[in-house]
Amino acid sequence: MIPAYLISGLLFGTLALFGAGFALGLFAKKAAYVLGGVGSALGVALSLIALTSGRTVSIDLWLVNSTSHAQLQVSSLNAYFLLISSLVWLGTCLYSVRYDDDYPNSLSSLLLLTILSMVIVLVSGDAFTFLIGWESMTIASFFMILEGKGDKEGVRNAAYLFLAFGEGSSVLIMLSFAGLFSAAGTFSFMGPAARVVTPLGPWIFVTALLGFGLKMGLAPFHMSEWLPIAHSSAPSNASALLSSTLTLMGVYGIIDVVSHLGGYQLWWGWLALTVGGVSALLGALFSSVSEHSKGLPAYSTIENNGMIVVAIGVYLIATYYRLTFLADFALVAALFHAFSHSVSKASLFLLNGWMSKLRGTFDLTSANPVPAGGVRGVGAIGIFTALSLAAVPPLAGFVSEWMILEALFQSFRFGDLASQILGALVGAVVALAAGIMVVTMTKVYGFGILWPKRIAAPGEKGGGYIEGGLAYFAALIVAVGVAAPGVFYLASQAASRMLGANPYGLFVTGLLGVPAPFVILSGSPFGGFSPTFTALAFLSILMVTLAVAGAVRARPPRFGLRVRRTPGWFAGAALADDSSAMYNSFGYSTPIRVMLRFLFRTKESVVQVGPVQRTVIRSPEEYVVDLEVLDVFKKFYDVLAKWALGLSAYTSRKVMPGKLGLYIVYIMAALVFVLTYILLTAG
Amino acid sequence: MWDMPKIWVFRGLKKGILTTAYPKSQPTSEEVPTASLPPRPTDAVDWSAGERGCPTGAIDSGGKRVDLGRCVYCRLCSSAGFTFDDGSGSRAGALQAGLTGRHAAGARRIFGRSLHVMMIDVGSCNACNLEVLNLSNPYYDLSRLGIAFTNSPKHADALIVVGALNPAMVDALKMTYESMPEPKLVLSVGACAISGGIFRSAEGFVSPVGDAIPVDVVVPGCPPSPVQILEGLLLAAGRLKETGAMR
Amino acid sequence: MRNLERLGEKMQLSSVFQAGGLNYALISDTETNKTIISELPLTLSEEFGALLRGSGAKPGSPLVLEASGRVEGYGVFEFPYGPVSWGVPEAGAFSLMTYGERVLKVVPRLNFKKRGIERAVLGRTPEDALLFVERSAGNFSAAYSTCFAAAVEDSLGLEVPSEARWTRAVALELERIHNHLYVFGRLAEAASQNIAATQAHALRERVLRLNSRHFGHRYLFGINSIGGVSRGLPKDERRTLTTEVRLIGREFSELVQYFLSSRIFLDRLQGTAKLTRKDALGLGTVGPSARGSGVQWDDRLTFPLEPYEDIYVNLETEDGEDTMARTMVRVKEVESSTIALRELLDRMPSDGTKSGPHRRRADSLGAGFSFCRVESPSGDLIQAVQLDGGGRVGSLHVRPPSLVNWLPFARSLEGTVFTDFQFAFESFGLSFADSDR
Repeated sequence: MIPAYLISGLLFGTLALFGAGFALGLFAKKAAYVLGGVGSALGVALSLIALTSGRTVSIDLWLVNSTSHAQLQVSSLNAYFLLISSLVWLGTCLYSVRYDDDYPNSLSSLLLLTILSMVIVLVSGDAFTFLIGWESMTIASFFMILEGKGDKEGVRNAAYLFLAFGEGSSVLIMLSFAGLFSAAGTFSFMGPAARVVTPLGPWIFVTALLGFGLKMGLAPFHMSEWLPIAHSSAPSNASALLSSTLTLMGVYGIIDVVSHLGGYQLWWGWLALTVGGVSALLGALFSSVSEHSKGLPAYSTIENNGMIVVAIGVYLIATYYRLTFLADFALVAALFHAFSHSVSKASLFLLNGWMSKLRGTFDLTSANPVPAGGVRGVGAIGIFTALSLAAVPPLAGFVSEWMILEALFQSFRFGDLASQILGALVGAVVALAAGIMVVTMTKVYGFGILWPKRIAAPGEKGGGYIEGGLAYFAALIVAVGVAAPGVFYLASQAASRMLGANPYGLFVTGLLGVPAPFVILSGSPFGGFSPTFTALAFLSILMVTLAVAGAVRARPPRFGLRVRRTPGWFAGAALADDSSAMYNSFGYSTPIRVMLRFLFRTKESVVQVGPVQRTVIRSPEEYVVDLEVLDVFKKFYDVLAKWALGLSAYTSRKVMPGKLGLYIVYIMAALVFVLTYILLTAG
Repeated sequence: MWDMPKIWVFRGLKKGILTTAYPKSQPTSEEVPTASLPPRPTDAVDWSAGERGCPTGAIDSGGKRVDLGRCVYCRLCSSAGFTFDDGSGSRAGALQAGLTGRHAAGARRIFGRSLHVMMIDVGSCNACNLEVLNLSNPYYDLSRLGIAFTNSPKHADALIVVGALNPAMVDALKMTYESMPEPKLVLSVGACAISGGIFRSAEGFVSPVGDAIPVDVVVPGCPPSPVQILEGLLLAAGRLKETGAMR
Repeated sequence: MRNLERLGEKMQLSSVFQAGGLNYALISDTETNKTIISELPLTLSEEFGALLRGSGAKPGSPLVLEASGRVEGYGVFEFPYGPVSWGVPEAGAFSLMTYGERVLKVVPRLNFKKRGIERAVLGRTPEDALLFVERSAGNFSAAYSTCFAAAVEDSLGLEVPSEARWTRAVALELERIHNHLYVFGRLAEAASQNIAATQAHALRERVLRLNSRHFGHRYLFGINSIGGVSRGLPKDERRTLTTEVRLIGREFSELVQYFLSSRIFLDRLQGTAKLTRKDALGLGTVGPSARGSGVQWDDRLTFPLEPYEDIYVNLETEDGEDTMARTMVRVKEVESSTIALRELLDRMPSDGTKSGPHRRRADSLGAGFSFCRVESPSGDLIQAVQLDGGGRVGSLHVRPPSLVNWLPFARSLEGTVFTDFQFAFESFGLSFADSDR
């Protein structure tokens, strides 16, 4: 039995280390990152201990009202999320030691503050602590985005956009919590409290889905493109943090709220399936046509979060129909995908951030060369990231996407026709999104990493930290894939409170000669897959190929059987040295832009300007290049923004001059609204 | 009247087989037309008049021989006593492809059953190009012999070069040759490729193809008929003796 | 000069060339079928400026036919194609400007196979020069040698037997048929209609064998000499040739029936690579490509050499302006050529009468220039010849049909997608050997 004081000690240690890092960051950023790394390692240890022991440890801080304490709490569910986050933070801190060279000390400080806030969000045992963490996370991230390089005006806009949508999300979450409070009568519902069945259930679920979904960039808020704009404008280590762990907080929030609710209704599942499916498809499509080396992964975040919500939708419907087996599997799939997406996405942001730094631009179409010294080894490491996000077996991304699709395939088990049809449709959409991601990842790897010309000139070098950080993530990605049964165990452990029992034994078994813990079953009877043995098979094919190649090369040359290097074939012409004669990433995705012109609102035109014909092909994803787009949803938000701006301009003139004041008024108004609501409903 | 449904496949089947029997038997006079037959001296030949009248210098009165690599088959030398067709219709000695002597041993073992061919034009008048393309029409159908065209030198075993080597194509020709995997064969097809033909004095001619890259087989003609090009390919693949008999 | 201002409405700039140190422009009036020759300096459009530079280009120096400005924009790049490719089985290259998939502009790059025929023949006897001229473009050999021979005969005032002129016309029509069949076969290949392609190529092989049997050469090399033909068509040969031509014509009609009921094939051609009538006239498009855009110009009718005044030739035009229209012009021309061939062979005079210099003479270009226009399979071929005092070639200007058709071809591809390239290229019947000469 693990003693409770060990867990709480580790927790306080972690918090203290991040806090110390935050303070130290202002003076010595490298040291701060080292502290952050140690803190993350402590976090990993803490969460592993908590997960495997299954213990829940609560630490009461102070009394809020008669029924609620401000409380820290470590349970198997939040320990799972803490594990994922800590693993990401560890790699990010390692990478940041070198990457941060061009940035002021404040960035490291803010980064560690963001991490600290996230830990608080995760280990909060009550709504107030959660919201304190949530708000400080948003504000720290806001300042972190402001540190971004590039167009100053654009970065500031991106940061304010982030703040606005972050606060929108906060308001919705508060509304959801208000509902929960009025049903449960306590604010201490973040922990393993009992499920509440209440007529307010739909209210709580919808506001939570929208509020956390907003933070995750899900439909219908994806259309505003706030997430790709904000995440891509931040410094790359901050982007990684935002896109993988900050959206992970959203996943945690949704799952946590769902875990406190009982009496699921069928349409909740439909809503989740629809929101997730639309997000997955549109995220994938927009990602595939993005030419921004960090906008592209940011759109992919929307896609992956959409998939997670789809899995939650399957869980809801399956629970409604008491399909225990499927519900268990879907929930574990959602948790598993959160894991593989977080490590892969953080890795991709760090990878692209480094490549963009070497190229001096975020434009994937740019022909800027890179110093060979800076990219040595990066390509070989990066392939694992790209393959994982493209869901290629046996890597992390494949295992979890396979699980989500297998869960959707079993939608025929649902009790009514509408759910069955919706399940099948969303299954097709998710499969399509996964397919598009293969194209997208080919693009980001091909044009982001392989394409830039290597030059021998002296330039930036990773100094071991960049390569080390990336290799760490590559190793994680391989490990999560190959050792999938182990991750499955951890995810099952996290889900066991919601499911009533640990479902690990139901799904992980042996089959067809593959020994016991290495096959993951998706149903009884349905599909089965062994990532470990697939990896072994791939490895042996690779070894055989290498052996044959080696044997052939070792033989004496006969009939000219020898290695002779010739230049590439360019139809008899010499390869032009400049980029003007090279297929670029924009051309790679133009067929999609042209084919789906109705979706992207693509406009093509050629204008004669003196001796030059200017071509214009526009679509909304080119926010970097041009914001002038025709998009009904975007238009709607534009109009809304205009009104809001007009209104705030009016209020700021009349009521409270000064921008900061405006912000405070907004927050206060929101809080007053929430408190009034609570008083009305609780009374 | 009942109208046959117009389906290409039925039409294709209805036409039957058009393909030549070559190389199982000698080609007919249709397949190797008179215009593709080399000049042969008769008893009444006037070598010096022939040399004077020959626009490409193919006739050598000193050595009393005709250089087929230079001949453009214009038949201006008929007035000097050269003949072209014995009138028998037999084409037994009409095939003229020749080896240049650098041909790799064991070609038949490597290429005998499968040969991928690429064509490169380095300055032709388009007639040789068309005759090479004709090889895939039903009358010659070279795929029945395990020979196929390819459009990348990286996949090619043999390179057919046509045309008088132009200054603008020298680098392209060398690049193409370099890009081919080894072992590889080169066929110089047509008078222009072998010697410059009629264009050997023109500004746009650099050198015979053989001076730029190593050539294995020459196929004289202006243009050589498809069967003669086919003969060159079979010779290059080691499937013919040089006399034209199937090995 | 005033005529030029109306270019593109009914006036068509046919050729610009340099001779005797002067620049000449040759303008055709498509309504009255008159040819007008005017001396430059004219303010030439950019397109024709490039052609004029091209007419004086030396071998080895590339001619880049870039007109109407560079293309720029986000993501725009150049897609180089050639000079060694299989889709275009000749040495020539293109730069396709694109931002992926969409063709924004095509820039033909010529002179990869310029042999310099016009310089090579200088100082040679016309008989010797004929050997070069007929090897300018192997597939248009009869048109080239007939055009050259007729111009030289005109210049020398030679009397040519009518039979020889009619025999030349037979060769010209056979050449038209085999080239049109080639285009049809290549289009079928491009549309992956393999049986249609092999059938067309098999039919073409039959025409080539006819050429070889009756004229001694598959590509009609060496058929002409100055003042006559090297080999006449005896009466019995005319009969067998008529029968053969009728058989080929019938078989082609069947093929066309299949083609017209082959929806997949037609779909690929319809609406592909449009060239408007205005562009066709403004850019000086010639041949079936122009007639596919509704331009009423065929040298057999508008600039007839001897037999064409006496026999019936239908002017085949289409209004579709697309690949289908150009294909249909060629298809209909094969049919009208077989009809013309039968009339030619049937009514060919064989009494040895000499027709004298042909009746239709161009205005003199001065300094002993004489010029001739012949409708080659791809369109209007113009040659202007000047003989020096010793009866040798003093100057030769060739305006190949393909040269002026490059820019219309490039224009027709603007705004299409990559996969339309092959269809446009084949339907225009372009040949690098022809334009580079």
